Amino acid sequence: MSEPRQLAEHFFRHEYGRLVAMLTRRTGAQHIEAVEDAVQAALMSALESWTVAGVPDNPTAWLYRVARNGLWDDLRQRTRHRRLMEENATEVIAALEQGPEPSLADEVQDDLLRMLFVCCDDAIPAESQIVLALKVLCGFEVREIAARLFTSEANVYKRLGRARERLRARPPSTDEFTSEQYASRLAGVRTILYLIFTEGYLSSHADTAIRRELCAEAIRLTDILASHPIGQSPETSALLALLHLHSARLTARQDGAGGLLLLEEQDRGLWDAGEIEVGLSWLAKSASGDVFTRYHAEAAIAAEHCLAPTFHETRWDKVVEYYALLEQVAPSALHRLNRAVAVAELHGPARGLAVLDGFHPPTWLAGSYMWMAVLADLHRRSGDVDAASGYREMACQLAPTAAVKQVLVRRLRIDRGSPH
Amino acid sequence: MPKYLCLQRSFGGGNAERPSPAKMQEMYAQFGAWQQKFKQNLVDMGGRLGEGRLTTADPAPDGPFVEIKELVGGYMIVSAESLDQAIDVARACPGLVGPGSGVEVIEIRTP
Repeated sequence: MSEPRQLAEHFFRHEYGRLVAMLTRRTGAQHIEAVEDAVQAALMSALESWTVAGVPDNPTAWLYRVARNGLWDDLRQRTRHRRLMEENATEVIAALEQGPEPSLADEVQDDLLRMLFVCCDDAIPAESQIVLALKVLCGFEVREIAARLFTSEANVYKRLGRARERLRARPPSTDEFTSEQYASRLAGVRTILYLIFTEGYLSSHADTAIRRELCAEAIRLTDILASHPIGQSPETSALLALLHLHSARLTARQDGAGGLLLLEEQDRGLWDAGEIEVGLSWLAKSASGDVFTRYHAEAAIAAEHCLAPTFHETRWDKVVEYYALLEQVAPSALHRLNRAVAVAELHGPARGLAVLDGFHPPTWLAGSYMWMAVLADLHRRSGDVDAASGYREMACQLAPTAAVKQVLVRRLRIDRGSPH
Repeated sequence: MPKYLCLQRSFGGGNAERPSPAKMQEMYAQFGAWQQKFKQNLVDMGGRLGEGRLTTADPAPDGPFVEIKELVGGYMIVSAESLDQAIDVARACPGLVGPGSGVEVIEIRTP
């Protein structure tokens, strides 16, 4: 009996993504559900067969053959039962029969990239695009997606349903995207990758491994985008820089008990030097054109934090400058709030408050713990105890999780007579 | 050591939910760990059973027969000191004993 071979981490999930991408390219996106079923069945066969007979020399080729044959049988049966000629099934069957087996790693990367653009169809709402990408490219099941996005399974099904409806409605075709189509979807692709990352990075999920997993998936897919002529651009480089620079600090954001740590409380020795290096090299590449995007600004801010030896030695003047630029390229009340925090570090709490003076935040921000917490902190530090305790109470009430509330209680504690 | 035939039985009505790829990865690792642990006992990993037919002295037996694969999904052969130990080995196999499925362990008598 041969001993079971160790498979790469996430082997099954990533093969799922690869196989769905490879087969969908050959069948067209309207057959994506049949493709997913065939891939699922092929992985099950692998699980049964490999544990007994050992892993074949080329597992991907083995899986591709089994999935393709299963899909071929399924589509043929369907054409026999119903006349689905309008679904171009016969054409698809012929393509599956004749198509050579993909052997080059490059081609698989092409297929994954193409699948990413299939997911980012502008007719699919963004929230459905994310779910579709997590399902077909990352190999997560509905329940796993629901747990990662902090939503119900029913909601994930609904979002997935909308995406599939749209894919089914596409004219039956296995044609390539034109370069115009690629270009028009590129910004949307970057947005989805950014959102997948922030779902992991900003999540208050107690399990660091689960949060890290989403961040790693976003980086994996952005890497594919950045290494392909279709996706290569200063903007993509800036996005990848940002993801790596944030990722470097992910572990240090939590203490041993799963509680959140503020930037100034984090052990900078835990920051991942390798990730910072990769992030900085992408940041350098991102400076090659004359475009300056929100990803550039955010990556530049993250880089300032990563490079500062201590919290107090942070180059706050640079951080303030990049937040101001960020506000220009991507106006958002949240960026203004962040700038106020940075200004408070640079020039003191009164100047920080001045940034927010006369500013009326939109309701989503005004009713959030973040807005209340910043006001509480800045008032506390300027010695206005009454205002501080009022905002502090509201911030704690609005805290979305116990971990966030803990940070607020700790940070916003008011020591009578000795303001910070 | 005596050998035992293990037959995987399914009774239907089990949870037929499809495992996710991440779950499959877990199952693969668990199965590998089980194989390592009982390396000495696993004589023949056997396999799944496919199509079959009953043949008898009667040239054309009247049907219908319940096909054997509906009762038995797969088989393997383990060696163990006793029936109880063989049962322990089989029970420890991930995914074999669960809702709607079980394993029948039968001693193979050799002269």
